[in-house]
Amino acid sequence: MFPILSAVLATLLVGTVLTFLSGKSARWVALATSFVFLAEVAYLLLQFPGWAGFAGGVPQFADGESYAWIHLGWLQVNYTLGIDGISLVLLVLTAILQLATVVYSWGETKKPAAWFGLLLLTCLGCVGVFVALDVLLFFLFWEAVLVPMFFIIGYWGGPRRRYAAIKFFVYTHVASIVMLVGLLALVFYSHATSFDYASVYAAAPSLSVVTQAFLFLSLFFGFGVKFPIVPFHTWLPDAHVEAPTGGSVLLAGLLLKLGGYGLIRWAVFVLPNGFHEVQPVLFVVAFASIAWGSVVSLAQRDLKRMVAFSSINHMGIVLLAIAVGSSLGLLAAVLLMFAHGIVSALLFMSSGSVHHTFGTRDIASVGGITPRTPVLATMIMIGSLASLGLPWLISFPAEFTALLATWDRLAYWVLLPLGILVVTAAFYIWMMQRMLFGPEKGIPESAHDLPAYETVGMGILAAAAIVFGVLPFLLVNLITASPIRVFPGV
Amino acid sequence: MTTLPESGFLLLSGLLLGVGVFGLLTRRNFILVLIALEIAMNATILNFVYFAAFAPHAAGLSGQAIAVVLIGFAATEVAVGLAIVLGLNRLKGTIDVAQGNLLKE
Amino acid sequence: MDAFLLLDQWAFLIPLLMVVSFALVGLFGTRLRALEWGGWAAVGIGGIAMVLGVGIAIGEMLHPGTYVNAQYTWLHLAGTPGPFPEGISLVAGTLVDPLSALMLLVVTVVGFLVLLYSIGYMHHDRGLPRYYAELSLFLAAMTGLVLSNNLLEFFLFWELVGVCSYFLIGFYYEKPSAASAAKEAFLVTRIGDVLFLLGIFIYFFHFATTGPSGGWAANGFVFAHGTSPFLPTGSVGSSTLLTIAGLMILGGAAGKSAQFPLHVWLPDAMEGPTTVSALIHAATMVAAGVYLLAVTSVFIGFTATDQLAIVAVGGFTTFFAATMAVVHPDIKRVIAYSTISQLGYMVMAVGAGFAMVGLFHLFTHAFFKALLFLAAGSVIHALGTQDLFKMGGLRKPMRVTGTAFAIGGLALAGIPPFAGFWSKDDILGSMYGELGSHPLYWPFWILALLAVFLTAYYIFRAWFLAFGGNGPRDPTLPPAHEGSWVMQVPLVILSGMAVFGGLLIFVPGFQGLLLYGAGASGIPPVYGPTDLALSGISVTLGAAGIGVAYWLWGNGRIFVLPESSPLQPVRRLLLNRYYLKAAYDWVGARAVYGIARGADFVDRYVIDGTVHGFERAFGAASDRLRRGQTGVVSDYAAYVIAGLLGVFVLLLLVAPYLLAHLGGT
Repeated sequence: MFPILSAVLATLLVGTVLTFLSGKSARWVALATSFVFLAEVAYLLLQFPGWAGFAGGVPQFADGESYAWIHLGWLQVNYTLGIDGISLVLLVLTAILQLATVVYSWGETKKPAAWFGLLLLTCLGCVGVFVALDVLLFFLFWEAVLVPMFFIIGYWGGPRRRYAAIKFFVYTHVASIVMLVGLLALVFYSHATSFDYASVYAAAPSLSVVTQAFLFLSLFFGFGVKFPIVPFHTWLPDAHVEAPTGGSVLLAGLLLKLGGYGLIRWAVFVLPNGFHEVQPVLFVVAFASIAWGSVVSLAQRDLKRMVAFSSINHMGIVLLAIAVGSSLGLLAAVLLMFAHGIVSALLFMSSGSVHHTFGTRDIASVGGITPRTPVLATMIMIGSLASLGLPWLISFPAEFTALLATWDRLAYWVLLPLGILVVTAAFYIWMMQRMLFGPEKGIPESAHDLPAYETVGMGILAAAAIVFGVLPFLLVNLITASPIRVFPGV
Repeated sequence: MTTLPESGFLLLSGLLLGVGVFGLLTRRNFILVLIALEIAMNATILNFVYFAAFAPHAAGLSGQAIAVVLIGFAATEVAVGLAIVLGLNRLKGTIDVAQGNLLKE
Repeated sequence: MDAFLLLDQWAFLIPLLMVVSFALVGLFGTRLRALEWGGWAAVGIGGIAMVLGVGIAIGEMLHPGTYVNAQYTWLHLAGTPGPFPEGISLVAGTLVDPLSALMLLVVTVVGFLVLLYSIGYMHHDRGLPRYYAELSLFLAAMTGLVLSNNLLEFFLFWELVGVCSYFLIGFYYEKPSAASAAKEAFLVTRIGDVLFLLGIFIYFFHFATTGPSGGWAANGFVFAHGTSPFLPTGSVGSSTLLTIAGLMILGGAAGKSAQFPLHVWLPDAMEGPTTVSALIHAATMVAAGVYLLAVTSVFIGFTATDQLAIVAVGGFTTFFAATMAVVHPDIKRVIAYSTISQLGYMVMAVGAGFAMVGLFHLFTHAFFKALLFLAAGSVIHALGTQDLFKMGGLRKPMRVTGTAFAIGGLALAGIPPFAGFWSKDDILGSMYGELGSHPLYWPFWILALLAVFLTAYYIFRAWFLAFGGNGPRDPTLPPAHEGSWVMQVPLVILSGMAVFGGLLIFVPGFQGLLLYGAGASGIPPVYGPTDLALSGISVTLGAAGIGVAYWLWGNGRIFVLPESSPLQPVRRLLLNRYYLKAAYDWVGARAVYGIARGADFVDRYVIDGTVHGFERAFGAASDRLRRGQTGVVSDYAAYVIAGLLGVFVLLLLVAPYLLAHLGGT
């Protein structure tokens, strides 16, 4: 069988190297790479056979590959790849976001080769995380994402970029180390025969419930900081505010999804008993993130900071959907991750364009931009309405499913996320009232509407938000083609 | 396999090592530090020779060989050490070890 | 099969046509220099939609019944083991029954007339393509809502009409007041929407357990689901759960239909173009809440507690909103309060179990209220002001408009034989029959009766102020004139409906439509003046209202309440809208925003402060450690030796001790 997943990784790797080397024409190389990547993902989609399920209690993946990598006595590390519906959805997201980001930053003039190369490198790391089925390989990709993002923030960022880059790196790296300890302990304590996902998965049930709970907590901390969860979220607003637009897009669109994906794949699936033990913790953290992210957003004056806090709110709903511990919840979580990836990317692009069109992102000091920049205003509207969960746009089916799953397990607790929906609507609608409507205010003479490449970049995302919002079954059928593990005792 | 007899040799080499380390840590004169280092090293060489005497033939030979190599090594070490002393003296006008803190930078 | 029944299967074409219109005008409208081109395209497509809508309504009159058509799976949550072994299918499709046929008739006819009228009313506006695109999208969403065959699909369109309303209220977005009103409308209805969503969840899980054999499920107004029963949730008894679900639906309806206490947004929504007020905020969208209650009561049913709550909200709002209309100087807002009040009647009727009676009032109200708004629109179009106290004497230069407004006013006041009389009288009469078995309905019924007087008074106060007298009180106003024919034709057609619409109950087919759903409540609704004494009372009250209005405001008189009058505080209370708007503003701008500011402070200085605390602690610690790095070789040698000793101690002393005492593996 043709090793398509390795081919995807190789495409991105070669593309990255070529982009770094190609100087002024780097953007063309990056664009070509994005298209090849997109074509490969499309091929994967068309070929996706559906998931064979858990034959004999062992998870099955499509397009699997496995080669011996490090075999030293009991240390059996393999290069193992594979996908199921969950990772495929996130691969689709990665392909869309990479293309949109490359197009959006077409006008980048500051060291373009390095810029586009680092963008591709980030995507490479994310793809690696989504397809790796070996503890060590997974961790290597996981850490590999940090490096290009560190440089993206640290070199192309805003005035406090060094502070933000270091904070981002140290914060998430500390979490990664806790996660690594958890993963290694998982392999060693469970006496798994190799570092492969399948053998870890098979061996984990032998652990005692208490051990599972502690392992789950350490993994949860590691993945949770990436989510990010309250109160370990403060790296996110700073990183977003200082990051360049393309960096923010990948940060919100992809990096946050690594946390959700890791939690589902490596913690919830592998340690279901531990998960049940610590479920209350997850609920508390999820509710805190949902409420905190939304309420703090309301007070923000910086558009980008506001969107960053709304990400905390949305990822809180993802966590809640995972935490309810039903298949419906997991489905909702994956759907919502995809939705948030598209919508937050659109909003971050919008705030980037606001920044360089009007010279500020301060919501209170720019007003009535609609007549002067109608396209930008439309993009902000689509993004905001999608983010506040308007039906016919992508977030709604996801949030609806998530809340349905929450009502199923938690009954009236669902009123909290439901009530917060009003607050979320409030800060977006209020922002639109101040920035888009009313008399013109604070608009420089030179301000003009978006350049074509930014329109196209955002247009891709807006189109995705509408298409998947009107026809959500396109995605849902993909996810549900992978039967999600039945939780014991449910 | 014969067991190692109780012997004053180990005591002697331990003593030599102790003297060497003590000198290494307390002397401020670079020359004296070098001498202390040599003493500590001789303790090692003594141990090699001593254990070689009880080891099987091939291993015994390699023990003695290492001892010889170490003696050579000690000589080169002194040469390098003295060169550093000269350099330090030229740079700082003193051979006080505490003045040689360029590693800090 | 009858041709009209065939039409049912093509009902989905109506929303689809309007979507086409939206795309056409929205994408190409600005490209073409002739701005009115887009408008006429939308009018044409709206006309086709109207023909279809009227055809479906006629088909329903000839063959009353429920027809579910054109189903397709919107969201199939398959293969998710757990509570849904067979998966969940959320299906979209159309459902045609007397309820939706009546509503479809209203939406397509008023929609078409407003589209036509707008050609004249909006012709000078730069944003004409945007206006027609948004209006088309609204009509698509509204007809989609009417034709929905399950609650989730209903909710999807419900939100879409809400966002269209948001954009159209904020149509003149350069005006800060319009932008603010749009925000307010969105957020207040959002509160209702959230409750509605919870109601959907409850129904979803509750009825899923009963399976498809439940009596109501045969009607089709339900989520499709797998063959296996879903797991029951929670320990809440089903009737409590049903009551809560019903209250949640009431919450959603109150948000959309501007019922107390979520009514505050509707008067401010008058910032939008008057045509929008006529279509969305009088005839169709605000009636969607009533429609939701009607649909729920017919297909699912309310518990007795729910019914009382709905009657209470509706009855109270009827009177409450009418009082505010009494003093207001703005012609559009007077009509807006009147809309809230009339919606209260409908809500009350549906709550008491007379869904079709409420819908009949919705039907007549849609026409005469759209008429009132469009007549007011003609006045505003001619004068450029909405202040009643600046107008006067308009009946001479604007004969058609003045007559139309008077007809609308008579219909609203419930004077026979105008349309409003029949429907309002049916509500009061049908409920009167219920009062014996539901004594708690009494106070709300009385309030609704009193509101008849207030209604007649305030609408004729507006008529005398605008059209009575000898000439404008503000001489700076431009001379009044009638609008072009596109504006007059809708007024004439709507006047016809306002005069004769109520008489439709004597048409057998239409009456058959209205008798639908009688089985659900068990009490047959009452149509026509069956209780002449009761009709006499309400007509007398209405006539008295008109009389008082003439006495105080007729012939150009201006009634000024004396400063010393004990009614002054009441007047201030009413002018300030019972201070409820201020209370909402306080909650939004002070309380919630204050909490948000506090949370932001905590986030920056407590949570992130802790992070920085760690940073400083590590910094200080490493600063200490750094001092050990002297650069002196012998110090390093000492560290090496100390470390070596430490390892020896660990290996030779601590490890054996631990192994010996902790033992184990």
